[in-house]
Amino acid sequence: MFRSGLTCPGCGSSNIVDDDLYSQAQLVCTDCGSVVSEGTLADDPVGGSVVSYNRSTAVAKRPCMNLIKGVQRLKALCQILRVNAEIEDQSEKYYKEAYQHESFINVTLQKKEILAGCCLLVSCRMRNWPITMGTISCLLDADFNVVGATYKEMMKILNIKAPIVNVTDVMEAHSQEYKMSSYPEELAENSKDLTRRAVALVELAADSWIVTGRKPIPIMMAAVYLGWQSLKPNQHRLRMSLEKFCQLAQVKKCRAAMTRIAEMKEMLCKLGKELPWLRGAVTPDNVIPQVDDILQNRHALLRRAMRAHEDTLQAECQTSSADPPTEQTAPSQITEHVDQTPSASSVEQCEPNPERAEPPADKEANLHTAPEQSDAQESPDPAPNWGKRVLFAPPCVVHPKKRRAAQPELQDVNGDEEISDSEIDSYLRTPREVRDFALTQKMLSDEGKS
Amino acid sequence: MDSSDEALDIIVTNVVATFRTRCHLNLRTIALEGTNVIYKPEVGKVLMKLRKPKITASIWSSGKIICTGATSEDEAKLGARRLARCLQKLGFKVRFSAFRVVNVLAVCSMPFAIHLIDFTKNNRPIASYEPELHPAATYRIKHLKATIQVFSTGSITVTGPNVQNVATAVEEVYPLLFECQKPLCK
Repeated sequence: MFRSGLTCPGCGSSNIVDDDLYSQAQLVCTDCGSVVSEGTLADDPVGGSVVSYNRSTAVAKRPCMNLIKGVQRLKALCQILRVNAEIEDQSEKYYKEAYQHESFINVTLQKKEILAGCCLLVSCRMRNWPITMGTISCLLDADFNVVGATYKEMMKILNIKAPIVNVTDVMEAHSQEYKMSSYPEELAENSKDLTRRAVALVELAADSWIVTGRKPIPIMMAAVYLGWQSLKPNQHRLRMSLEKFCQLAQVKKCRAAMTRIAEMKEMLCKLGKELPWLRGAVTPDNVIPQVDDILQNRHALLRRAMRAHEDTLQAECQTSSADPPTEQTAPSQITEHVDQTPSASSVEQCEPNPERAEPPADKEANLHTAPEQSDAQESPDPAPNWGKRVLFAPPCVVHPKKRRAAQPELQDVNGDEEISDSEIDSYLRTPREVRDFALTQKMLSDEGKS
Repeated sequence: MDSSDEALDIIVTNVVATFRTRCHLNLRTIALEGTNVIYKPEVGKVLMKLRKPKITASIWSSGKIICTGATSEDEAKLGARRLARCLQKLGFKVRFSAFRVVNVLAVCSMPFAIHLIDFTKNNRPIASYEPELHPAATYRIKHLKATIQVFSTGSITVTGPNVQNVATAVEEVYPLLFECQKPLCK
């Protein structure tokens, strides 16, 4: 093609054509044959090389967009929880470090968000401002178990050792969520009083095995509810159910809190019974107004309750050892104990007899099998049955799962027994039965063939 | 013998063992003609349950079999042999080989309650405790390849590669638990 506007430097003509020689673009003058200009040998695309700019010439790697967004989300979480700047900085550092690790770089965006929450959680724990995993999973709207798994993985990767929090530490942060101060006098409670009362209740519950091994949030909810009721035990408060209380406090109710409330009330009843100035029985319904007194004198009440429990056990030992024992028992187990101090060993010795003395009510921790083997019942190891001996025991010990007894093998039937004449009739078929049987067999075999 | 062994009852509740039959197994045949079998075609295995010893076996078509539910290593071997015999009777050219106990689970009950937070603090990197996730503290003994889960009521569960390791693990952890015990009453 003629190229306008170009003149050959050799002869001055304007007959210049494109001539591609071996894929090299050239502009050649048709009159004298001189090459006016030529392109490069490589077939470079017009816009530049195929290698992108940032891969070839960029010096610094730009941070990943998702990492930046993740850090922003982390900052937002920190602001919601109102943590201080130290915690925020540390959690950001952890997040950036964990994000780059191979096990977190390629996960879904949701998991990266959960990772941010976990970093925040661990920083809070290390700076003595503990929050629960339940709070984080609520904030992120994520499954509690996934949060737990991510947390454990993150701890392993970052190799951090965070201090363990127990419920009383988290109590303060949790009870601040309950907004009870803006109500009329009857229902209102300021957060500090509520916290203090709830912490006292939780400590008492911890002594009586209600706290250990359980998830913390239902316990805290139960403690706050009972604490609130007990601070001003008027009719209005006592009649309010947990559901309504949670609605007032703008907190989501958890179902396990109901069981915890029942357990705590039972524990409070056991202690309330020992109050010397009370007349009449203490039941879960009327124990709330006494909670104040119980908490103030809790150590004394605990001691009294222990001693009273000891005395009842001693009394039972004595009455049952007076009856002749039906099963053989090792003599050492029946000896009475004169020593009155509350210690586990003293009660251990009376242990088999209370079991016999209170048979029907006991859901026996009989890891030993079939009821026929009653001699085995006399020597159970003390540890599983300590729930009966002690005043307070974990619910899993008080109501143990019954182990399924291995069915005793029928070893006495071997087919060679004598069959008496009276029984022989039940073993022989009548003629009618023989006919029916033959008929049925024939029908079945016909059906099988067809 | 350590005095703690005499007082403690280590009850082995589960032994898991594997072995190979050195031949391909037709799962459909086993499912149709075997007794007490459950066929799981979506996973590609057959479950066969033996009554005595009480064992459940997962049978794969490659000839690999996993037996679970035995209460001792010998019982596991006995059950595995019985299973191989059952398969032989079904018509496969089975050869019992590569029997190996893979996992042993045991439970043990301490005569005292344990304060888990103290226990974890004393044994920091080896023990871990997350009360919100699981009620027990986990203690891993690397050289024995055993994992011990410690509950605050004093019960512990131990998993390890064989019964000897499990017993050694209990012996090793007993003094650590003893020093963190919680008095039963105040």
